[in-house]
Amino acid sequence: MADWNNILIAVDELESSLRAVEYVGQVTRSVDKVAICLLHIYPEPPPDFHLKGGILEEYQTQHIARAEHIFGRCLEILVGADIKREAIYCTTHMTEGRTISDTLLLVRQKGNFGTVVTGKRGVSKAEEFLFGSISNALARRCNDFTTWIVG
Amino acid sequence: MIDWSPFPTRILPLLKSHSAMKHLRRQPTIFTDTSDFTRIDYGDIIHVDNRYFLVVGYAKEGRFGIDEQPKQWVPKVYDLESGERNILKLVFHENFTLKLGQLKVTCYRRPEKEGQVLDLVHGNLMFMQGYSVLDEADNLVRVLDIVRGTRLDTAIGRIDCDHETYMSTYLEDFLRRFLRSVEAIILLHHHGFKHGDIRRDHVLIDGESGHYRWIDFDYDFYLPERPFALDLIGLGNILLYILGRRNFRPLDILQNPKMGEKVLETLHVNDLSLLSQDRIFNLRKIYPRLPKCFNDILLHFSTGTSVMYDTVTEFYDDLAASIKQVYG
Repeated sequence: MADWNNILIAVDELESSLRAVEYVGQVTRSVDKVAICLLHIYPEPPPDFHLKGGILEEYQTQHIARAEHIFGRCLEILVGADIKREAIYCTTHMTEGRTISDTLLLVRQKGNFGTVVTGKRGVSKAEEFLFGSISNALARRCNDFTTWIVG
Repeated sequence: MIDWSPFPTRILPLLKSHSAMKHLRRQPTIFTDTSDFTRIDYGDIIHVDNRYFLVVGYAKEGRFGIDEQPKQWVPKVYDLESGERNILKLVFHENFTLKLGQLKVTCYRRPEKEGQVLDLVHGNLMFMQGYSVLDEADNLVRVLDIVRGTRLDTAIGRIDCDHETYMSTYLEDFLRRFLRSVEAIILLHHHGFKHGDIRRDHVLIDGESGHYRWIDFDYDFYLPERPFALDLIGLGNILLYILGRRNFRPLDILQNPKMGEKVLETLHVNDLSLLSQDRIFNLRKIYPRLPKCFNDILLHFSTGTSVMYDTVTEFYDDLAASIKQVYG
């Protein structure tokens, strides 16, 4: 069984992510030995990226910079909720031949995270069909860990 | 007069005798670089893979209801040594935005992907066959075998009977063969490839064996979380067409004297397609005798659905179980 106090929060630039971070801060502030990982996953570049002269390293650098900005806002919230800074770490991944949710689940498995947290965007059914929903994917696939979906 | 001296002697017999040469009033050009395919015209020769292909026409394609347009990057050709007829696909990179109701998806034409799919499905007769080769300027030219067969929608349209007779006489065969072609799409997905342009006119019924063959794999789209969603939509649309023999829009119902307002009044927005709300997926409101299990599959693609297919395998499993339930 994965460690429930080992918490993975999937974050992006949306307000729903910040709400999820705030939620984790509030419910874990009094928990001893909590470890929190802020994870930002970004997709591979579009199919015509290289054809248009795109350079992968630059694409990754841009996304990492964006992630750093997101992490900064999340850290403020967590530290503001009395979570020790040393209990938090941040990581960024590009999907490599996988979907975003598959990448998230892979990171969870490798890090033995017992709790995975994400915000709920509230997409329409049509958007969910076409673009997917990370929270729904997590809800369906959380077999040996716990998922918190923060609305 | 054509000067035959620039052409290798081994192609001259077939070149000189071809009807394209009889009416040509200019010197044919041999193209080893296909970068600017707009310069390549009827009667010219494309030289790739040490083969000389005489351009004898162009493939055409039209969206439904729109006049077919010749595709200049898809010449129909004649091999000047073997006499074989082929289709070449030249490199044409284009992007366009596909609108699905309120949603937009960027689509890309990707020759490299089509080349990879051709390699993967080599010898698999559920797919068009061919190979890809670089021309002198490193353009990936695809050399395709011509599929001799009939478009699926044309074959369905030719059947002249009422829907009851269609269901009892023809539907089973269409569904069983379609099931196999769905299985073929699963093969692509397992290897990480999308078909990219699943439409009812991209399924050809092989004239000899009768099985369905997928054609045209050069489209790709950017859906990082649901990479196969558009393929799924395409399969749902084809199933709808097979079961209903046509697509019904609400206006079609109103204009149909056998249905009219009586049927229209029973329709709800939940019965329409999930993405574009332009066609009726709840077919049992039009054909009440359609087996419920088939209609239930269609409802996964309707606005009212609460359950969506994640994978084509799920769609396949439901279709296979329904066929077994109805036909044994």
